Amino acid sequence: MRVLVVEDEKKTASFIRKALQADGFAVDVCDRGDDALAAAAATPFDGIVLDIMLPGRDGLSVLRQLREGKNHTPVLLLSARGEVNERVEGLNAGADDYLPKPFAVAELVARVRALGRRGAESKVPVLRVGDLTLDTILHRAERGGQFFDLTAREFRLLEFLMRSAGRTCGRMSIIEKVWDYDFDPGTNLVDVYIKRLREKIDGGFEPKLLHTVRGAGYVLAAR
Amino acid sequence: MKIRTRLTLWYATILIVSLILMGVGTYQQIAEQMRHDHRQHLWEHALNETSEMVFQVGLPAIVLGLLGGWWITRRALAPVTRLTEAVEKIHDRNLREPLPRTGNGDELDRLTEVFNAMTARLDGSFQRIREFTLHASHELKTPLTVMRGELETALREENFTPVQRERLLSQIDEIERLAKIVDALTLLTRADAGQITLNLETIHLDELLRESFADAKILAQPQNIQVNLTACEPVCISGDRHRLRQLLLNLTDNAIKHNRPAGTVTVSLCRNNGTAELKIVNTGPGLAPELQPRVFERFFRGDSSHSSAVDGCGLGLSIAQWIVAAHHGTIRFASEPGKETAVTVRLPVE
Repeated sequence: MRVLVVEDEKKTASFIRKALQADGFAVDVCDRGDDALAAAAATPFDGIVLDIMLPGRDGLSVLRQLREGKNHTPVLLLSARGEVNERVEGLNAGADDYLPKPFAVAELVARVRALGRRGAESKVPVLRVGDLTLDTILHRAERGGQFFDLTAREFRLLEFLMRSAGRTCGRMSIIEKVWDYDFDPGTNLVDVYIKRLREKIDGGFEPKLLHTVRGAGYVLAAR
Repeated sequence: MKIRTRLTLWYATILIVSLILMGVGTYQQIAEQMRHDHRQHLWEHALNETSEMVFQVGLPAIVLGLLGGWWITRRALAPVTRLTEAVEKIHDRNLREPLPRTGNGDELDRLTEVFNAMTARLDGSFQRIREFTLHASHELKTPLTVMRGELETALREENFTPVQRERLLSQIDEIERLAKIVDALTLLTRADAGQITLNLETIHLDELLRESFADAKILAQPQNIQVNLTACEPVCISGDRHRLRQLLLNLTDNAIKHNRPAGTVTVSLCRNNGTAELKIVNTGPGLAPELQPRVFERFFRGDSSHSSAVDGCGLGLSIAQWIVAAHHGTIRFASEPGKETAVTVRLPVE
């Protein structure tokens, strides 16, 4: 997969490039909005990581221009402005995802990886990770012949983690997708829920499936 | 009293006084004339002549004068009325639109010009606040992003001892905390400048409350705190879904954090005199009466000894207060130290 990173802050661009390359991406870096448009027109990228505040032309305007020109390369917006409505504004302008700064690098990588899967997201009704099964139609979760009693929220959390099995899910993505909050709740809500979920699905079972990625988030995987 | 009424009254007084003077003058003149002619019935005749003059000529002239005066003041003051109406419509978001000027160069036109210059300066100040918050957030978060990214890169690429790793991870936690504070401060500064618009829709507040109550129960479990929902009457208000959820989570979370171990949090929502009344009572240590008015201040912490035990950035209640105010509601904090603390929110029902 080939990704274009548009970021004017040299150090940020550098660690994003390193992290994406370490994960097997081919990375092009560009530090101006107008240059980004030219680069995107010249090369078919699989994804674009686009900062909003850019010299030359700001990220949102680059994005609108891309979409007007029928360029549907998936775009992940980055922003340090942290405005309440910015996420909605970005998604309306045609972005596929939005990540506020400062972000966990692992979360950025996971989201860029997910960009390539947009549209092809599996909607299979029964999910499996190791010996853990989640049936989204019968609304039940089972491991080793034991059924779990999950609240609605716990069920949505488990479904989200299982649909992104093997990928790090940052706290922000969990808050967005499971709670549908557009703000940082400023509490350990996610951690408390994960702890409860872990007690249920990992308590008394081996191997453990729900792992903490310190400083980044959580991952559900049969390691 | 309106300027117009006052001017008319003065005008009327002046006219009446002149009429009296005119009457007295006329009488004396006629009397003089008669004495000169040696005519009989001197006084009576002069009086008749004068009153005829005063009532038949003077009074109609006064009435005409008053009507004309009233009309003139009305015309003269009309631009002031229009100016008042225009000024009334000014608020922080349309400061840039100047008031319409007559362009005839009179005193009122000059006033409008000066007023327009003043609002332009105000608009400039608002603009600077807007830019400041935009830049402050960006300038503070860019280095935080770099710090965090480079720490994570180092953790991934280099071999550290467990102690070193722990130290770096703890730094990442602090960077995250700092970023949250920057976020909250930017939000509040933008709210102060009136730059945040709410996405208003009809909200079933009881449904939102049930939802955040479910979260609150789970948040409270680790501290062994009992959360009760004693009333949850169906209430619809016009509000912003995200901000109201933020408010509910904020207040319930606060009530859980500032509580004694194995304490309780009691939440209720009632309809009361056209308002939705949300009450959150907890068994926390409470606040001394002299500190209570300061509870919504930014970075205020009730008890300094508790500040390290309770996480959060000290801006939660300030944000809650803003959300309530933006919904035209009121928030009240009442505490009996050692017994219970109640936060009451009243929001207008749709």
